Amino acid sequence: MAHRLEIALRPELFDAEGDGIRRKAKDYLGIELHSVRCIHVITIDANLTANQLNTIQTEIFTNPVTQLSSHNPLDIAFDWTVWVGFRPGVRDNPGSTAVEAVEDILDIKFASGEAIYTSKRYCLKGKDLDFKDVNTIAGELLANDIIQQWKIFSNDEWDPITGTGLIIPKVILNHTPKVTTISVHSDLSLKRISDERGLALNPADIPFIRSYFMDKKVRAGRAVKGLSDPTDVELEYISQARSDHCNHNTFRGLFRYRDLETGETDVMDNGGAITGIVGVYRDPMGTGKGSRLVMGGYGFCVGPRDYNGALRPHLHPRRLLDGVIEGVRDGGNKSGIPTTFGQVLFDHGYLGKCLVFVTALGMMPARIREKPAEQKKTTPGDLVIMCGGRVGKDGIHGVTASSETFSEHTPAGHVQIGDPYTQKKMHDFLLDARDEGLIQFVTDNGGGGLSSSVGESARFSNGCEIQLEKVPLKYEGLDQWEIWISESQERMTVAVRPEDLERFLALSKMHAVESTVIGRYTDSGKLYITYNGSACAYIDMDLTTSGFPQWEFDAEWLPPERRGLHEPVLKPPGNYRMVLLDMLSRPDICSKEWISRQYDHEVQGTSVIKPLVGAERDVSGDAAVIRPILSSSRGLAFAQALLPAYSAIDTYHMTGCTIDEAVRRLVAVGADFDQIGGVDNFCWPNIQFHPQNNPDGKLKAAKLVRSCRALREICLAYEIPLLSGKDSMYVDGHLQGRYKETHKVSALETLQFSATSIVRNINKCITMDSKVEGDLVYILGATRNELGGSEYYAHLGYVGLNVPEVVPEVFIPLYRELGKAMDDEIVASAHGIYRGGLGVHLALVAMGGNLGMKIDLGAVPVDQTNRDDVVLFSESAGRFIVTIDPRNRETFEQILSGLSFACIGAVTGDNRFVIKGIDGKHLVDVSVNVLKIAWKKPFGELI
Amino acid sequence: MNPVKALVLTGYGLNCDHETAYALELAGAVAHRVHINSLIDGTVAITDFQILVFGGGFSWGDDHGAGVVQAVRMKTNLGDKILKFIDVGNLVLGICNGFQTLVNLGLLPGFDHDYTKRSVALTFNDCGNFRDQWVTLKVVPTASCIFTAGLDVLELPVRHGEGKFYAEEAILYRLVEENQVVLQYALPDGSPAERDFPFNPNGSVHDIAGICDPSGRIFGLMPHPEAFNHWTNHPDWPRIKEKKKRAQENTEFVLTPGIRLFQNAVRYIQNK
Repeated sequence: MAHRLEIALRPELFDAEGDGIRRKAKDYLGIELHSVRCIHVITIDANLTANQLNTIQTEIFTNPVTQLSSHNPLDIAFDWTVWVGFRPGVRDNPGSTAVEAVEDILDIKFASGEAIYTSKRYCLKGKDLDFKDVNTIAGELLANDIIQQWKIFSNDEWDPITGTGLIIPKVILNHTPKVTTISVHSDLSLKRISDERGLALNPADIPFIRSYFMDKKVRAGRAVKGLSDPTDVELEYISQARSDHCNHNTFRGLFRYRDLETGETDVMDNGGAITGIVGVYRDPMGTGKGSRLVMGGYGFCVGPRDYNGALRPHLHPRRLLDGVIEGVRDGGNKSGIPTTFGQVLFDHGYLGKCLVFVTALGMMPARIREKPAEQKKTTPGDLVIMCGGRVGKDGIHGVTASSETFSEHTPAGHVQIGDPYTQKKMHDFLLDARDEGLIQFVTDNGGGGLSSSVGESARFSNGCEIQLEKVPLKYEGLDQWEIWISESQERMTVAVRPEDLERFLALSKMHAVESTVIGRYTDSGKLYITYNGSACAYIDMDLTTSGFPQWEFDAEWLPPERRGLHEPVLKPPGNYRMVLLDMLSRPDICSKEWISRQYDHEVQGTSVIKPLVGAERDVSGDAAVIRPILSSSRGLAFAQALLPAYSAIDTYHMTGCTIDEAVRRLVAVGADFDQIGGVDNFCWPNIQFHPQNNPDGKLKAAKLVRSCRALREICLAYEIPLLSGKDSMYVDGHLQGRYKETHKVSALETLQFSATSIVRNINKCITMDSKVEGDLVYILGATRNELGGSEYYAHLGYVGLNVPEVVPEVFIPLYRELGKAMDDEIVASAHGIYRGGLGVHLALVAMGGNLGMKIDLGAVPVDQTNRDDVVLFSESAGRFIVTIDPRNRETFEQILSGLSFACIGAVTGDNRFVIKGIDGKHLVDVSVNVLKIAWKKPFGELI
Repeated sequence: MNPVKALVLTGYGLNCDHETAYALELAGAVAHRVHINSLIDGTVAITDFQILVFGGGFSWGDDHGAGVVQAVRMKTNLGDKILKFIDVGNLVLGICNGFQTLVNLGLLPGFDHDYTKRSVALTFNDCGNFRDQWVTLKVVPTASCIFTAGLDVLELPVRHGEGKFYAEEAILYRLVEENQVVLQYALPDGSPAERDFPFNPNGSVHDIAGICDPSGRIFGLMPHPEAFNHWTNHPDWPRIKEKKKRAQENTEFVLTPGIRLFQNAVRYIQNK
């Protein structure tokens, strides 16, 4: 029998969660609420006695100091009440921990099928609220209809005894698992089945798949195992292994590149091989024999937070951003990994699909038990073990869904809820197991689930035998193919030698992590899967890596001027003060402190340079620095950059500038220029030309080719090894407009470049804030007429043409010499000049120090420009702002001699930010406080 | 002299164990990171230690109230052993999630030596969100706490979503009267924050950031002393360093206040 328990804060206590909802209802939806109180609902679907229920009510679920609870609905006044709970099958993390606690305190074990479910009831009070208002609040604020369901009750219809009723979102499938054999008698029929099942097979792959299963020798081998035509398990496996997400077909593709102006043609094979090779070693926990995670970063690209246009994204960008922030917060904080660096960009192109980049850095000892820690392999006889969470329907067809654009047919069921608690336990366990030498191979179950992790790990031994019935399930009734490809989270696949099994399982039990042997590695050359003894897959190991046709793309490049881009006809502004303040208030530039503060950036005790620095600890640092080995004075610096706006002009320079920005960010905090490693994350719209659906596909393909070229050339010039990378190739969405017409919205071609380097002595790190009155302000690097794609042009409604370019041979000596000055400890502050240009970044240095600044634009080294607006807002790469103690002037200038730099002013104590133009006239005279108010205006109220 | 042995709990989503152990080692103790289950199954004996640390983290995901499920597991499986550990004069420290666990276990406030009664709580921040920031803390001069001896005003980071200290008036009165309030959130100059956000980051009543039991040997606090284990942890260190350089002062830094707090514990055991 099921029982319900309602829990709420005592009425005299402030309900912060409820008040947050009240505020959002007003700010986001314009609905005035008088008050909101939250009730936590625990639904216990288990046979417990009245005594047992009483024990868990008082000992676990009710805090005697702050809470009230009742098995009957709590009597909290409302005009409307909204119940929100998970849909069946959605991961309910608090429900699972509740079971653990109940089992512990009562010393019982829940029977199969028994569970605890958590949900919430909100009590809303407000004048003249009607059902429509409440339904809007429920759908837009309280629940996400993909994973949650809700019920609304008015005060009149509420029954104080039955309340919401007993709602048990239990998954009942009533389904006997069945393997289906699929006929492959023609290409057409296989294509049809691929469409029906959502396999997303590439049409070009279909004849090859058919020929394999028609092959006489193959058929003879299969007949011995009782198989004939392919099974659904096999086709799903091939579909996953061949998906662009897992196999990087686009990056391994053949590009026929043609420059329509110069006539230059080129066939690029394996154009992105640098990126492609990372397919197997992606996740630090699954890298080598496993790494300890030491920090995380984020990059969010979303639609404008205040979007009020005609398109109707499934979730408003503001809501989406709230959810993304929350997801990364819970994921990072609960994993005990400091989130030290991040960026947020807003653009209409991300209304179709938003981008969420998350980065992780891990560390491993060089050797474990005398063996190199980075090397791993599977050997015939090793056991295949699945660790961590259980398998359910969640995540089925996640890979193929992200390999195709969203449509109304995308199944909601592919949504997964992360469970950082389970993952943290597994992380701790795997590191202990690694240090005891118990792990031969480890890899994560990400895209493609077991099909991918087992498939990839079995390549080393050249075969495996899997018994699918051994895989622990969340609930009964999954088909074999579903078990094989489910992407249920927080699972790793580990290879363990039979002689280590006992110890491995004992350690697993101690860490309260579930580990299950599901098969063994062989050298048979076959992937052999059975279910209760019957074969459901018997495929050659090398099938998915050999013989499939390469993807092909036509790439046609038209230089920007041929596409009609040009510089705007623009005379300099008359009111620079207002331009500067408005630039500081632009969403991509303004303060986003509210996000940084929600992320624990100090756990592990390693923090050296925090995300927010300066006198008032509120201005973003150039890069994060941590001291991952607590007893060492060496550190790791980390930064990333995103400059998609330049893609509108030329992705070659977008890529160069993005890499350069990430590098300069590291240099600015004192990291070693010669030990930088990089990671490239490509997010691109679909590049396959289609006359109706993707008419500009050839240009998008050419943009990818040019981006990959720049990645190669600039990284070679800077001598940056690419440590890892990732590609998401379908950043397009279809959104409904005002008249129910549908628009395809493609994102800007986006590359996030992450860079990390070693800091030789953390005690010499530098922050960007000006430090002392009287210090000299220098600019390093030349400013060119490069406003194309700039924030300034965007602010005025232009794209322009003169996109910033990277000149490695000019920049590199400067970066090295600045590093030398920092090593000599004669630099007081250093800050790269990034998006927004010199004006914006001088303002940031002044705001960081909370000190004034006097600047003479006439002293700035320029190249082919003599306009104040160009000098202030050009985004030329390769530049820094540096402040130094005047006593160090000579030494500093000597170090930089021969390079492009100049002293352009001084730090002042009067809190005034003053800029003199090239002709000597005052352009800006404003207090630093006013600058900061403008910079904090857009999001300053958010917490 | 026998080394002072400190036990730092790990497992089930706890996560500050490495740096807490490191801080204890800097303070002169021998620190062991021990999984909760190793303590329960007897692989490790609590009686081998003199300092027990409930560290920070998200035990059991902080579902059902921060520290609640951890308290249930510890009480159910180790309740008597912990009471005995206290009884023989040892030290218990709870940091953040550990503080939340101590109040749910009833080890704090421990009025009348009843170490099982829950009478204070740490609940959701008034600001409605998790928050990472450095705070100024004032040590209550009359506090009878072993850990804060010799400290007056110090800065430490807070990183929590449920750190608002709450208790009924009568309980608060007793905490103050019996010198059990140890740390209070303060303005940068050390004067009381008087619940002014963000100086008091969570809305704690009476600005309470940390309390101890009547003996002063059990101490719980929301801020993280172990995260101030090196002078470069402090958010202002590059500014402080630059100003010291200008004044031609030594830029070598001494032991941080965070480590001094652990040092007090180690010295107490050494001198016992």
